[in-house]
Order: sequence, then structure tokens, then C-alpha cells
Amino acid sequence: MRRRVVVTGAGVVSPLGDSAAALHAALMVGRCALAPSDLVAGSALHAGAIAAFDPQRYLGDANFRPLDRTGQLATVAARLALDDAGLDAAAVGAREVGLVLGTTYGSVRTIAEFDRRGIEVGPLYVKPFDFANSVINAAAGQTAIWHQLRGPSSTVACGAASGVAALALAADMIASGRADVVLAGGVEELSFESLVSFARMGLLRGDGRAPEPFGREPAGFALAEGAALLVLESADHAAARRARALAEVVGHGSAFDPTQAADTTSLAQAVTDAVQLALGAAGRTPDEVRAISAAANGGRIDDAEARGLAAALGAHAVAVPVTAPKGMLGEALGAAGALQAAALLGAMAAGELPGVPAFAARADFALGGARAGSARVDLRLALLDGVALEGTCCALLLARGEGAPS
Amino acid sequence: MRRVAVTGIGVVSPVGTGRKRFWEALLAGTSGIAPVQSFDTSRFKVKLGAEVRDFDPAPWCRRLAPEGVGRASQMAIAAARLALADAGLDPGALEPRRTGVAMGTTSGEPLEVERFDDALLAGGAAAVDDRLAARYPCHRIPGQVAAELGLRGPNVMLPNACAAGNYAVAYARDAVASGRADVMLAGGADAFSRITYTGFARLGAIASDRCAPFDRERTGMVPGEGAGVLVLESVESARARGARIYAVVAGYGLSCDAHHMTASHPEGDGPARAMQQALRDAGLAPADVSYISAHGTGTPTNDRLETLAVKRAFGAVAERVPMSSVKSMLGHTMGAASALEAAVCCLAVADGRVPPTVNYEHPDPECDLDCVPNRARALEVRAAMNNAYAFGGANASVLFTSE
Repeated sequence: MRRRVVVTGAGVVSPLGDSAAALHAALMVGRCALAPSDLVAGSALHAGAIAAFDPQRYLGDANFRPLDRTGQLATVAARLALDDAGLDAAAVGAREVGLVLGTTYGSVRTIAEFDRRGIEVGPLYVKPFDFANSVINAAAGQTAIWHQLRGPSSTVACGAASGVAALALAADMIASGRADVVLAGGVEELSFESLVSFARMGLLRGDGRAPEPFGREPAGFALAEGAALLVLESADHAAARRARALAEVVGHGSAFDPTQAADTTSLAQAVTDAVQLALGAAGRTPDEVRAISAAANGGRIDDAEARGLAAALGAHAVAVPVTAPKGMLGEALGAAGALQAAALLGAMAAGELPGVPAFAARADFALGGARAGSARVDLRLALLDGVALEGTCCALLLARGEGAPS
Repeated sequence: MRRVAVTGIGVVSPVGTGRKRFWEALLAGTSGIAPVQSFDTSRFKVKLGAEVRDFDPAPWCRRLAPEGVGRASQMAIAAARLALADAGLDPGALEPRRTGVAMGTTSGEPLEVERFDDALLAGGAAAVDDRLAARYPCHRIPGQVAAELGLRGPNVMLPNACAAGNYAVAYARDAVASGRADVMLAGGADAFSRITYTGFARLGAIASDRCAPFDRERTGMVPGEGAGVLVLESVESARARGARIYAVVAGYGLSCDAHHMTASHPEGDGPARAMQQALRDAGLAPADVSYISAHGTGTPTNDRLETLAVKRAFGAVAERVPMSSVKSMLGHTMGAASALEAAVCCLAVADGRVPPTVNYEHPDPECDLDCVPNRARALEVRAAMNNAYAFGGANASVLFTSE
């Protein structure tokens, strides 16, 4: 017997605010997080950095120096998520709370700096702290230690689909009875290493303008950082502690495009497959989907996502409203899907959906409901889409929750 | 829920490539540990490593160009092809949408970070190319396996460090059991790297002379590399096509110490909970377990606390369950380790023999379980437990049983 899985809280650390509501509000007014980055000297690259991130503000005077930036972002997001769900330290200590954290680069900055110090100064002079943080699951480990999360703990890497994949895995852990409460989402930091290497691939927009998701001519995306964690909980467990259900995870699906081809027909098919699997798992039909949160970031696979989504939704594709937060937020890779999910929670609560920045409607575009402006939407069921450049496609359906039990 | 069988085993390891060579070497007590050759160790006090020296990616990378694929991905591709061949499955005959890949790793493609750093230190940012973005991210490992084999099913990397292979097997088991996939390739891979070596050397964790798990005079672990992949499918489908079933993935347990990034819980709390959960999941009692493949790194602390944790989970039964560490021969192959050890468990169930812990000379009162010292043993293995523990406190135990 599969158990129902609800969302009872969200924690957000982003360039556009530190709560689901703040993130949603920023997206609604079209605020753009992207600004010139000083990480790569002499470049004009824009990125979505969290300026003046201050972990002390959230974590108090405790010693967070053993945590690198990735660990700090994830630990703060967990703090905010647990607070939002009304789970204090005693409540967490009394349970085996799980953690599923998406990432793409892990702590690549820490790893690379550790390596360079070993070369320049000598292997005897590297810092043991840095090595502990060099493993890709370091942020999850640090977060678990900080908040005493003793349940199943896993890091998930699927590129820009990681956050959605993490929510899906956590939902399965709860549905199957392996855990009652799991923090799930993703984290990514901006680093010199990822920024310069992405720039060399020619994927980043270099003209200083904001990326345009689903734009007519893909001009590239911008990298960003952040963390978002949702508190997923079995519906019974949430009801028993009288927690409000913000949303319910009703189904998910995933597929992979193995072709890595310039022609994105196969990638579009994987997008379609993932959405159809999610709909099938949820027992829902395309016309029930009231909104799409797209993975589109202004890069060259946006069009494949649009075609794939349209094929999955059929006739309904011309009507369903679309939001594409990466135009304002940037591409936060491992955190992206979780940030999209948090923004959707904000949209569900407010009954309005931010649009697709700078989008100009055109007859040959498959998602007819895409608009530059926001829309009033009764968000009973939303589709969260994650698509990675490297081929992983994850889709997850979120139904609006019933709110607090009376 | 469908029962899930292991029907194929593919291995690239410091003691040889291919299931047969791997198993014969381990039963014979052959060691893959030797002074490091792949980089200069003159600035280190320790010298030992467990490298894969005979690996040529060319025969395995047929659709992909080997030079476009990182070393861990290359080894994963080889192990995946070997596993499918071992299972009697033609990659071209698999249903692409119903076949997925779940892999684990500790460091992904660390050689790409090293290359990046070498270029940066030599020529500044202008000398850096795109390979870090193109090849380093760890999800490239399952992605490249699927790209090589044309697989469209669930594709995931679970980079849970030294327990990652077990997480991948657990994920794959659920994917097949729930019907989200019909066939899953599951395992782990890691490439030998100066970064990993530098880190463990700095922690003082690397053995000075030999890797001797559970021995009183043990001095540490030995970093290694490799890849292990298992083919998982439903017992039903395995029977229907007349495939050999090595073992059934009967259950698993996951837990987190939430204690320390690099040190085990002082009372073995997390590992014991993972073992207990695996037993519950499989519907087995401690007395039903015939063999344990230990995490058994060979560090003074790991082996002592692992012994404690097994006693905590198994009670009085613990002293009757043989528990060996193949890391005494393979070194610690990082993200590949628990995948290779999962292969060991499956082979033990199928073959009725268990590999030894080599280099065992001095009994340690704090590691007083039966570590199958120095010689392989004939043993009817109805249930084998694979234990793995990782940096960050992530623990995973998987139970394999006979059909």
C-alpha cells in the first residue's frame, strides 16, 4: 500500500529571497537576480549570486566554519524548511528524518582549491576539513550533522534535473514506508571553476542581457546559486501532528536521452516520456494540469522541452499557463528543480503564476499558454519539469494541499 | 512488488577485469595493491595504491569515442557491457525505455579537476578549456553508460561516497520492484586520483605497508579505483528467459550517523540501524544471515567500530557469521567499492564460497568476529549482507539471498 506524500514546509536560499513567498513575489514583479560576476576576472559574464549570504543570520553563533559554501547553503535551507514545517529540534530528534539532496558540481570549488594547495604547497599542508568537504555528498553530510537528520540520507545528481529527481526519490521513500519525513531538494554554489568551464563551452549568454527562456533564438543561459529544501511527509504523519499540507506529490516520472545529438528530437521524446510517466503514475490526465514550471533557461534545449511538453499534453498544450523562473533566477543546476518547486508553492498559495520573461508569443511555438506576463491561475495541479543538458528528464506533479486542518 | 534478481556481474578491478578473473583472484587471496604508478608519490610518506593497470577503454566504448569520456565513465561502460554479456543480454535487444542505469561514486571524474588545476596553474584562466563542465559532473557516469548502450530508462547518479554502490543497487531494486524499469544496470565507479590520495594521506588513513583489516597491527586503508555493475531484473523475467540468477536483492537499509564528516559513530549507531532495517525489509532474522561483506577498510577506527555495530545489530549471533573484507585485496575502490562487494555477495550466494580477509596475523580483541582469515572458505550462503559506510555518515546495507 503506497502512502500519500504531502509537502509541509519549504526552505529557500536564493538570489531572489529566502522563502517560497519571497521568491514567488520577486518572480511576479519580474525582478532579475543576474548581475556581472567577479568570479572570472575580465569577463562580462552575468550570474545569479546570493550577495552577502550570511549563514550566521540563520544559524546563530554556532561554529559553521567547517562547512564550505555549499554546505552552508544546504544547512540554512534545511533550517528554514524545518522551521516552516513546524519541526523543532526536539521533533526532529524524536524521528529519523531523511535527507535527499540534489547537486551537480558538489563542492567543486573546495575540491579544486584543495588540489591546487596540494600541488603548490605540498600534500602535507592541505586542510583535512577541505577533504571532508570534497566528497560530492558533503553538503548532505554537513546538513544531516547540523540538524541531526538520522534517517535515509542520499545525494542525487542528474544535472539540472537533480532537484526534481531528489523530490521524486524522497517521495518514494515516504510512499513505501521507509521514512515518515524527508527533507528533499537541491543545492548549488557558483564557483570560478564551473563558471569559467561553462563559459568555454559557449553555453552562457555573454552580452550582459538576461536569458530568455523559450526565446526565438537561444542566446545562452546564466549560472546561479542557491538551495531549496521541501519537507515531505506522509499524509498521515502530517495529519497526526496537525501540520498544514501545502501540496501533495501525486506522481513522477523520468526518462533519458542517450543520443546527445544536436538534433533534439530524441531529447524532446524523453521530456514527453517523463511527463507521461508522471501523469500515469498519478492517474491524472493532461487537461487536469493547470500550470507548468519549465526548466527552460535561455539555452539551446529550451525548444526541445517545449516540443516534448506539448506532445505529452496534447490538445491541452495550447491553453496551459507556463512559468520559467530561470529567466530571472538563472540556472542553479542541482538546486534548480527545488527552487522551481518552492516558487510553485508560492504560486499555489497566491493563486497567480509568474510568466516567461521577455517571451513574445508566436504561432509556431508549441506551448500556446506561454505569456510574458503573469496570470491568475487556480493551481490545483502543477507540473514541475526538470531537463538536463546531458539528457536526464524528470517530471513531477504537485497537487495543491488542503492547508491547515481545521 | 516484484522480486528482483541479479543476473549479471561486470567488474573492472585492481585484481582483474571480468567476473571470472575477479572471483578467482579474490578466492585465491590475490592482492591488487602495489606502489602507485599513475602519479609521483615522492612528496607523500605513503606509497601504496590499488590501481587498475590493464584497462583499455577502446574495446568497450563503441558508440562513444573513448577520448571524450572520463576514466570513471570508461570503466563504468566496460563493467556495464561485461554485466550485460554475463547476463546473456544483448544491449541492442534491450527495450530502451524500460532499461535504466543507477550508479554511485565518491569523486565522479576527479582527473578532470586535476587537469583543470594543472592548466590553471600553468597558464591562468585563459588556459582552461571546457572539459570540467563537459566531463566532470558525476551524473555523466550513468549518462555515458546509457549513451553508450542507448538506454532511455531512469538514469541517476547517487554520489554517496564510499557507500554509493549500495545506494545504487537499492535504487535499482526499487525501480524494478515497482515496475518503473524492467532491467536496471546498477553499480559504482571511481578513478584513481591524486586528490583522493592527498586527502586520505593527510588524514593519516593510508596503510604504510599492507592493508590488513581486523588485524591488531593494521595501519590503514589503501585508495583504489574500479567499477562494478550488476544487472537487475525481476525474478519472473529471469526465469522466463532461463537466465542464471546469482542472487535476489532481498532488502536494504539506509541511515545517517549525523555525527561526523569523516569519523564513524562511536557506538556504531547508524550502521547498526542500517543493518536492522535491511533485515526487516527482507523479513530475515540475524541468524538467517550466512555471510557479511564488511566495509572493512583497514583503518584502526573503522574496523573496531564496524565490529561493534555488527554486534549491536546481530546480538549473540554475530560471532557465528563469517565477515570478510575484500578491501584487503582490492584496496578501497571508493565509489566502486560497495558495488564490487555487492558482486562478491552475489557470487558467494551463487558459488557457495566466501573470499578471505588477507594479511591477517594478529588477533585483535576489539575485532573478534570471524574475518575468514587468509583463506577462502566453502560455505552455503543463503543470505549475504553487504555493508558500506561513507563520509558524511551515510550508511547502506543490502541483503542478497538465494532464490
